[in-house]
Amino acid sequence: MFSWGYFLQQSMNGIILGCIYALLALGMTVVYGILRLINFAHGSLITVGAFFVYFIFFRAGLSLPASVFLVLGFGGLMGLVLDTIAYRKLRGGPEVALLITSLGFYTFVENFMKMVVSPQPYAFKTPPYLSIMYKTQFLTFRSIDVFIIVSSIIIMLIFHLFVKKSKMGIAMRAVAENLEIARLMGIEVNRVISLTFVLGSAIAAFTGFLWGAKYGQISYDMGFLTGVKAFVAVVVGGVGSIPGAMLGGFVLGLAEILSIAFLPTRFAEYRDGIVFAILIVVLLLRPAGIMGVKEEVRV
Amino acid sequence: MLKVEGLTVKYGVIPAVVNVSLEVREGQIVTLLGANGAGKTTTLKAVMGVLRPAVGKIFYRGQDITSLSPSLRVRLGIALVPEGRGIFNRLTVEENLLLGAYSRSSREEIVKDLEEIYLLFPRLAERRKQIAGTLSGGEQQMLALGRGLMARPQLMLLDEPSLGLAPLVVRELYTLIEKIRDQGVTILLVEQSALVALGIADYAYVLESGNVKLFGESEVLKSLDEVKRVYLGG
Ligand SMILES: Nc1ncnc2c1ncn2[C@@H]1O[C@H](COP(=O)(O)OP(=O)(O)O)[C@@H](O)[C@H]1O
Ligand SMILES: [Mg+2]
Repeated sequence: MFSWGYFLQQSMNGIILGCIYALLALGMTVVYGILRLINFAHGSLITVGAFFVYFIFFRAGLSLPASVFLVLGFGGLMGLVLDTIAYRKLRGGPEVALLITSLGFYTFVENFMKMVVSPQPYAFKTPPYLSIMYKTQFLTFRSIDVFIIVSSIIIMLIFHLFVKKSKMGIAMRAVAENLEIARLMGIEVNRVISLTFVLGSAIAAFTGFLWGAKYGQISYDMGFLTGVKAFVAVVVGGVGSIPGAMLGGFVLGLAEILSIAFLPTRFAEYRDGIVFAILIVVLLLRPAGIMGVKEEVRV
Repeated sequence: MLKVEGLTVKYGVIPAVVNVSLEVREGQIVTLLGANGAGKTTTLKAVMGVLRPAVGKIFYRGQDITSLSPSLRVRLGIALVPEGRGIFNRLTVEENLLLGAYSRSSREEIVKDLEEIYLLFPRLAERRKQIAGTLSGGEQQMLALGRGLMARPQLMLLDEPSLGLAPLVVRELYTLIEKIRDQGVTILLVEQSALVALGIADYAYVLESGNVKLFGESEVLKSLDEVKRVYLGG
């Protein structure tokens, strides 16, 4: 039975999941754009960020703004460490070495988390002011939903403006297009690359918090599939394209939620499979993704 | 202004440039000639610091810069306009120009220089918001030059700027290069087509398989039978 109310409700859920994918895809697409690296380590930041907030916000009782600020900083620092100790030495070598390293880093973090926080999922209880229910004629939502949508839009806007307008942002795009020539311009390429890791990781850690607050549960392995799906969003949107990554995130989130909402219930367990089916269909129709860079450049 | 001493650069174990020494005097145009694969680009890249020499030293204004990073060399006033122009095709014309000024910090001066570049290259002004990949070859070369100038260099390295341009555009380009020289910028000009390059250069070096084969005043080189035969097609 189709009803518009149900459709709207599910669309909102899809958009919220889309926000999460889009935020993660941002960090992955800029890193891919520069290093041609599918950064699996990105997923580990989701887990680590979620647990970081769990401990400082719920256990230690820091305020929400302080927690948000700190998790961004913490994620950024992790990104810097990751780039400095794991990736920097490998630049210029075969790309597969980077890929294996990022998988290794992810695996390390996952096992480390399993050891430290236990293999059991943690309940991530949202504070009352994030669980206020709002009922309108068509939609029911909680304050956390508003928080996710608003904070995601703010982050995407800032990121977009940064990349489009700031000197560093222009340098970042230059490095992504041609690292050699960027170096000739006097750009310290390693610093630009570090910065992309810092920004992407900060956002990913924050996204871990959003995920926990929205779905109420966090676990040591939460980052893997989410990270992989975020990369699917990158590819669907068009690898290397920042608007594409955001669009890909929303397409994926909506498709994932709406397909389980409207397909017979026995398909619900295939939700992850559905994501990859979307990937295959999009790539068959548009090999460079929805907003693929190749198309963008054409005269 | 620039002194290269006993430069050897290798790709892996294969040397591309062997024991090259050359000097560029302040205010001059010096040209580095040679056939395809002679080692011209390699030499410029070593001067810029994107390639590390196996042997040899590079001095700029008397300072040994051999171990400095490219970004520090840009700050010291060296700019390379690369072979094939090296335009950022996905960026706008203006973003390309701004990247030329990446190492500078004064916003006001950068904006002022940007306007000057637009006066010098009116066609770039018309296309400032356009994606650079859509420019014609000649326009791209102008953009590459303009981007190089945005660094406010004192020494400009130009790698085959006339490559692939129509003769009329080449003449326009060379007029510009002279204009840049007249504004006090020293130029090391790499070309394959010796005829035009010797026309504006004060001094010339000829590379062959990574070695300096000949060097001297352009006027003198032009009249040498060997140069005439091999490089001037006469
Ligand atoms: N990236 C590279 N790797 C290996 N060999 C190279 C590379 N670039 C140039 N070479 C070789 O070095 C020699 C000099 O090249 P280059 O400096 O580009 O010459 P030119 O600019 O005079 O045409 C050539 O034999 C060329 O094949
Ligand atoms: Mg060359």
